[in-house]
Amino acid sequence: MKFQIPIGPQHPALKEPISLRMTVEGEIIRDADIRLGYNHRGLEKLAEQKTWIQNIYLTERICGICSHSHTTCYVQGVEKLMELEPPKRGLYIRTLVAELERVHSHLLWLGVAGHEAGFDSFFMYTWRDREIVMDILEIITGNRVHYGINTIGGVRRDLDEQQIKHILDSLSVLRQRSEYYKHLGTNEPSFVARLAGVGYLSREDAIALCAVGPTLRASGVPMDVRKDDPYAVYDEVPFEVCTAETGDVLGRTVVRIKELFQCYNIIEYLLKNLPSGPVAVRAPRRAKPNEVVSRYEAPRGENIHYIKSNGTDKPERLKVRAPTLGNYAATIKMLKNGFIADVPLIFAAIDPCICCAERAVSLVDARTGQEKIIVMNDLKRLSRRLSAGNIRKREAEWPL
Amino acid sequence: MNDQTLIDKAKASLGDKVLDITNPAPRRIFIKLKVDDLLAAVNWLKNEMGFTHLATITGVDLGQAFELIYHFANSFTCVNLRTEIPRDNPLLPSICQLIPGAVLYERELQDMFGIVVQNIPDGRPLVLPDDWPAGNYPLRKDWKYERPPEVIPGGKR
Repeated sequence: MKFQIPIGPQHPALKEPISLRMTVEGEIIRDADIRLGYNHRGLEKLAEQKTWIQNIYLTERICGICSHSHTTCYVQGVEKLMELEPPKRGLYIRTLVAELERVHSHLLWLGVAGHEAGFDSFFMYTWRDREIVMDILEIITGNRVHYGINTIGGVRRDLDEQQIKHILDSLSVLRQRSEYYKHLGTNEPSFVARLAGVGYLSREDAIALCAVGPTLRASGVPMDVRKDDPYAVYDEVPFEVCTAETGDVLGRTVVRIKELFQCYNIIEYLLKNLPSGPVAVRAPRRAKPNEVVSRYEAPRGENIHYIKSNGTDKPERLKVRAPTLGNYAATIKMLKNGFIADVPLIFAAIDPCICCAERAVSLVDARTGQEKIIVMNDLKRLSRRLSAGNIRKREAEWPL
Repeated sequence: MNDQTLIDKAKASLGDKVLDITNPAPRRIFIKLKVDDLLAAVNWLKNEMGFTHLATITGVDLGQAFELIYHFANSFTCVNLRTEIPRDNPLLPSICQLIPGAVLYERELQDMFGIVVQNIPDGRPLVLPDDWPAGNYPLRKDWKYERPPEVIPGGKR
């Protein structure tokens, strides 16, 4: 007997409300279907009516967590159109904020993964430490979420010695705590057992479905825009691309934990090698007719903007492809032949924040049309009960 | 392999299918093609050059025609295939046979520009609401949004 389960689309806490319709046989998902557009804001059309400067703040509001990713991607494209060369110090500060954003995003994700797996103390620890990064960001930029630090031709605020010292001090705390999480993972078999083998995506599928970011790297594909197509100062900064071979949620966790340590190294390098000089150059108001493709490695994956100018102070076309859209096709593949109880975990693993919070799921009987509403907490309880009696994953080892 | 080798290989393999090829910045190659040659070019890029990652498809309204740009990337460069289709007959072949991950981008093009993608495996609307009036394509330049007058149910007291 087959059932169809719709999940979504509405929840006030979601950045991207989406609707999932899953065909299930018993507990096993046989097919999944995604419907988007519940929060379509017509941003690409709106951008054509705003000036280059206004669009920085518009693109910043595409996403709450990777707000700096979108502005950097947009701004570095516009700088190419205007033939501007931002000063080195400006680029260093821009990259610093980008890496701090990656740390806060990955810590947030680790917390969510812990929460979905029923490991709530992990969630509380990582979110406590995320506050350290948020404080640093607030000290540097003045804001916690929409930093507003990018401008065309550089950044808007400079760093002083006291701030650099504060960041380096906080960084050593973060590094120590992250070591502890790595250690905690090794000694927490139930956490590893819950994540291993869930939401499997093979290397071939990840490539064919054009997955991006940690989802792709967890399937063993070392693709990172920072390495492949270096922007800002990434060609000067030493770092490694982190991958995992398992292709499951555990692999995605491992990739993100490894990336945290890379981020700390990058931040330390940037602060110790910060050049002196101005942080921005003056930008013209208009751009000559031209076009540019700008790529950026956001915490969730590759972000791409296509910008076309027509000689005025407004863009002719701004196309934005955020990383989550690139991962949806792969998500459908991951959900297939999995359990309903794994849905929160698999969805959390691509980091769309779709199931962070309480949300209703209605079960529809395909033949009679009867509906049964269960809330997300019951679904999570089901998920924990399922994993509690799970013997076959016990052998899994924490690969770090 | 660098940009110049790829440009040489494109000229050798695709021959006169290439209408124009530019390299405006390092790691950015734009190749212009006729729409009939698109599938052959994607096939060449994927199977012979190893460009498996399609970043996205951009549509641009040029007035008389729609311009489509397919952004491909691999570990050393980013290749952008550019093609144009007439506005009064906007037919585009689907590349989902070669790149399964392209389906969401093609569905978005159908919604936003009214382009008809032929042989698309799943052609349902993607981003626009179910009750969106037919024939309205928001990213066409001549489409203007007019806010409908607000009607308070029961009238104002």
